[in-house]
Amino acid sequence: MLGFLARRLALAVATVAAVVIITFTLVHLAPGTPMLGDPERTLVSPETVARQRALFGLDRPLPAQLARYALNLVRGELGESFTLHRPVARVLADALPNTLLLGGTALLLALALGVAVGALQALRHPSLWDTALSAATLVLYSVPLFWLGLLLLLVFGQELRWLPVSGMSDPALHSALSPLGRLLDVARHLVLPAATLGMVQGAAVARFQRSALIESLGAEFVRAARAKGLPERLVLLRHALRHALAPTITLAGLSIPYLLAGSVLVESVFGWPGLGRVAYDAIFSRDYNVVTACALVTGILVAFGNLAADVGVAAADPRVRLER
Amino acid sequence: MVIATTGDADVLLPPVTTTSLGSNAADRIFCRLAELKLDLNTVDDSGFRPVLARSWEHRDSTTIVFHLDPRARWQDGAAVTAADVAFTFAVYRDPAVNAPLAPNLAGIDSVTASDSATAVFHFRRWYPEQLYDATYHMRILPKHLLDTIPRAHLAGADFGRHPVGDGPYRFVDWQAGTEITLAADSAWFLGRPHIARLIWRIIPDLQTAVSALLAGEADAMEVITSRGQLERMQDDPAVRLVPYASPFYAGIVFNLRRPPFADREVRRALATALDRTTIVRSVFGPFADVAAGATSPMEWIWSDSIRQIPFDTAAAATALDARGWRLAPGRPMRSRAGAPLRFTLLVPTSSQVRQQAAVIVQDELRRLGVEMRIQPVEFTVMERRTVGGDFDAAFVSRTIDPSPASLLQFWGAGESNIGGYASAAFDSLASAAARARSRAEAGPLWRRALERLNDDAPAVFIFSPRNNAAIGSRLENVSIRPDDWLATVTEWRVRAAGDRGRDKAAGR
Repeated sequence: MLGFLARRLALAVATVAAVVIITFTLVHLAPGTPMLGDPERTLVSPETVARQRALFGLDRPLPAQLARYALNLVRGELGESFTLHRPVARVLADALPNTLLLGGTALLLALALGVAVGALQALRHPSLWDTALSAATLVLYSVPLFWLGLLLLLVFGQELRWLPVSGMSDPALHSALSPLGRLLDVARHLVLPAATLGMVQGAAVARFQRSALIESLGAEFVRAARAKGLPERLVLLRHALRHALAPTITLAGLSIPYLLAGSVLVESVFGWPGLGRVAYDAIFSRDYNVVTACALVTGILVAFGNLAADVGVAAADPRVRLER
Repeated sequence: MVIATTGDADVLLPPVTTTSLGSNAADRIFCRLAELKLDLNTVDDSGFRPVLARSWEHRDSTTIVFHLDPRARWQDGAAVTAADVAFTFAVYRDPAVNAPLAPNLAGIDSVTASDSATAVFHFRRWYPEQLYDATYHMRILPKHLLDTIPRAHLAGADFGRHPVGDGPYRFVDWQAGTEITLAADSAWFLGRPHIARLIWRIIPDLQTAVSALLAGEADAMEVITSRGQLERMQDDPAVRLVPYASPFYAGIVFNLRRPPFADREVRRALATALDRTTIVRSVFGPFADVAAGATSPMEWIWSDSIRQIPFDTAAAATALDARGWRLAPGRPMRSRAGAPLRFTLLVPTSSQVRQQAAVIVQDELRRLGVEMRIQPVEFTVMERRTVGGDFDAAFVSRTIDPSPASLLQFWGAGESNIGGYASAAFDSLASAAARARSRAEAGPLWRRALERLNDDAPAVFIFSPRNNAAIGSRLENVSIRPDDWLATVTEWRVRAAGDRGRDKAAGR
């Protein structure tokens, strides 16, 4: 177990390093110039741009810049944002918790919805219910995220006015609320973006869960459990479902990149101040340090999310041993 | 009042901010010596009203003396002094600060403090817009809070995220990527603003921002550009559209260093072939004007009577034939000596309206036998290519200052003249206009310069949008100065009947 973890950790570190190097190189080689501002709005003289570039070391050869970035990274320094005039670490510290809150909630929602719907389908298989839910999950999985987000926003935000359409708190009231009120305020703002992300991913989980549970319900060990006279509820929860959870947990680990990528769209649609929006803005303003740092954080989350999924599968299914 | 805006600020320090929200918020925190009135008259002293400066006088042709209002205070209680004014000028002009507006101060030689309440501006030479240059480009900064910070680190200093100003609003809070909150300064020397809090809510998606306005989550938005969104708002009683002149125009700039655009007659023929009225109506409906030239309705030199190249496809075809660009029998495209009349137009992917207009332009030119390829490019790539001269033609836009002098920046010998246009006649007219002593004298000269530009067709000026701010119907006494839509926000009010619970909770 420990050997497995050490090997996977080493692999994760190497993967993250490769992601950082590739991102750093690509973003520097991409056409476009940082620090030009918006010449359609404010004129920034070439001398000013040149001074700024020199200040941030962008006038040096790319390998030298990469070496300096790597050295700083080892020291725990992520540099300064060209456009926000702030340390990148602080920019990420502001945005990352919001993305984790949104992504985490969406993941939990996806798992809860997916497992429940998948189990319902498997238990009703074959039936009209199963067919209808299969069609519904397929449609939901095929829907573009931003389209679903805008649809929910128009219906529940603008028309019905049940839920706020943007941000993660009420701009005027939040600071005047009690701690519980603030929590509920954030929760209300979280509903639409988390539902958008969670529903689409939940549809994928449901389809996996249905197949896995149908297979489990016909397996030898389930028949043996029934033959021992265990109540059907225990057969289902303790044996069939637990076994069928393994592919779902793997899927949950694999869905972290999807949730992070999806958060770029969902955060933009709902004005959620997370990492996706920071990365999106940084790419368009060629804020190299922020783009590279976002890739670093995303790489870490994905690598360790997958590792956590492997450990989770082993916990759910005692037959799996972490020895590969 | 909650203001929906699409992007976060970079820093709330006037010399170094380059974002729209950064300017909008910092401009409420920091004052100028004097402000332009609503008619944006940049030439005469009568176009300005006092703010930090109670009065001013022209001591001689190169000196303006400002007498500061003794009531003016920084929000930490210190008096605003002439030393702050001199310090501000030094900050803006310091190369280490990299202030984008520093080149606009080139006419000012120095600023000194003759006593604590008297700031003296010394100019290099006489010119009519001295007062404009002295007051418009700089917002006065607190020397006692900033002079210990190395200039090169000013942009990154904590002050820029927790500013202390001398304006009608105090900084309260900035949640990165979420919102910026300012509160009315009840002790402001020119009187407490009526709206107690300004909260900019950052909503990157325009559709969502419009929904937030319609759902009552936001009260105002600077400009609505999409025709569909404008029509959506026109039908909703919760919001009203407040029109104001646009500081913006857009057009197709030709690269005169490349054939066939070095040929003036070819450029004129292409301009003649474009039915700009149809283009503008198709893309914007009633929400834009055909650009009269390299100006916008915001500038006082704008006039519908400025001479423009009329739309005439037959004349365009004749002109191209005369220059040797002919249609061979059975060929759809014109050519000369075997070379087709073909070029590529760069269009930014960020501008849906310019992409739509480009498609109509392409169709109109195709009918003339000219092949125009549309190349959508990311905004930063377009910047790099146009600034570097790596383009045939580019669909650019310009947000201009109230001063017509920006004409010289874009079409004179300045670095922003991306197409390489050079005309002694234009330079002479524009320079004479810039030296004129009054609007009455300068106006005809500026308009002749614009006509010269239209005649030479280094660009085809297509549209200038009719700006519409979206304002919640509960707000009243709203006026908008086109160059700074919140310039008069201290006079805006929330109707008593329009008060919401959250206004009361937030101090209204």
